[in-house]
Amino acid sequence: MVHRDIPVLETERLVLRAPEPEDYPDFKATFSSYRSRFMGGPLNAYEAWMLYAAEIGHWEIRGFGMWMIHLKDTDETVGMAGGWYPAKWPEREIAWIIWPDRAGKGYALEATHAVRAYYYDNGWNGAVSYIDPKNLDSIRLAERLGAKKDPTAPSIDGHDAVYRHPSPAQLVNSQLAHGIEMEISHYSDPLFKPKGWAID
Amino acid sequence: MNRLVPFAPRLETDRLVLRGPETTDAEAIMTFLMDPERAAGFGHIAPRGDAWRWFALLIGHWHIHGYGYLVIEDKATGCAAGISGIWNPETWPEPELGWVVFDGYEGKGVAFEAATAARRWAYTELGMTTLTSNIVPDNTRSKVLAERLGAWYERTYTNENMGVDELWRHPGSEVVLA
Repeated sequence: MVHRDIPVLETERLVLRAPEPEDYPDFKATFSSYRSRFMGGPLNAYEAWMLYAAEIGHWEIRGFGMWMIHLKDTDETVGMAGGWYPAKWPEREIAWIIWPDRAGKGYALEATHAVRAYYYDNGWNGAVSYIDPKNLDSIRLAERLGAKKDPTAPSIDGHDAVYRHPSPAQLVNSQLAHGIEMEISHYSDPLFKPKGWAID
Repeated sequence: MNRLVPFAPRLETDRLVLRGPETTDAEAIMTFLMDPERAAGFGHIAPRGDAWRWFALLIGHWHIHGYGYLVIEDKATGCAAGISGIWNPETWPEPELGWVVFDGYEGKGVAFEAATAARRWAYTELGMTTLTSNIVPDNTRSKVLAERLGAWYERTYTNENMGVDELWRHPGSEVVLA
């Protein structure tokens, strides 16, 4: 009974779809684990279910939210990515989490790149990501996405770091955008050869 | 037109309308949750951000289960007077008939009228045959109402969110619908 208007996003290896009730066990496994320590976890069963319900409610209330990331080949879920803007958030966030046994394959990069492009095509003129300073994997991903730490921007609770994403204009036909696309191509084909050379 | 839960029912009683939650109900629900006294027996949530998240999961609950808490609207004023409906997050022992009345609507039989309608809806439209209410031991007002609804104390258990909690059993569908 999830909202009918949630769009489906396709990338090279992934399909991003609305979070459905049947995807909950995968979500619960990660949010009950140490993996979720930077996102308010680990949660007990009650808290995990309530957060999942809030993920779905967020779509209905805000009109956007977090997609469930599926592998195109097998339909298995590998994580979530999307827009997150609950009350108390200073700005709209692009957020992601990859299930711990699926990390290291570039799925978060591929998903967030697509998510950001979708929101930028649909009226967003910027976004931030709120990241725990100890969450080095996510900080690295934010930087690969071209986001830069913004020490002047308000954070959620004074503890998290604010990474500001490049604007829509900075992502059109830019070296940054091409670099991200090449990196994604490299994940889907480790022997990928670019047409030309990356300029640093 | 309800945007957040398009499939929610609309139940009418003498003085009330029970309907799906809408964006405009968020403030009243959050105000209730953030009130330490009024929400003590329900689950007090102090930070506003967390109260908003509860409103979001209220919507998500509907989409996961197909049922949830309805907003009680006072016909006379059109204002939200509370919530009542069926609640069943993971770890709940059984689907629960719940009720809450907002500030200014107590002592008028609003909760009784709403819970009676919500219980009938669960037994007729949702196909449920039995219902419980989870009541914390010192919530005497809710126990009095449970008794008025014909429910009885069944057992004490530990609720993941509320701690020590009592399970009250309602008369089943065969009795209520007879």
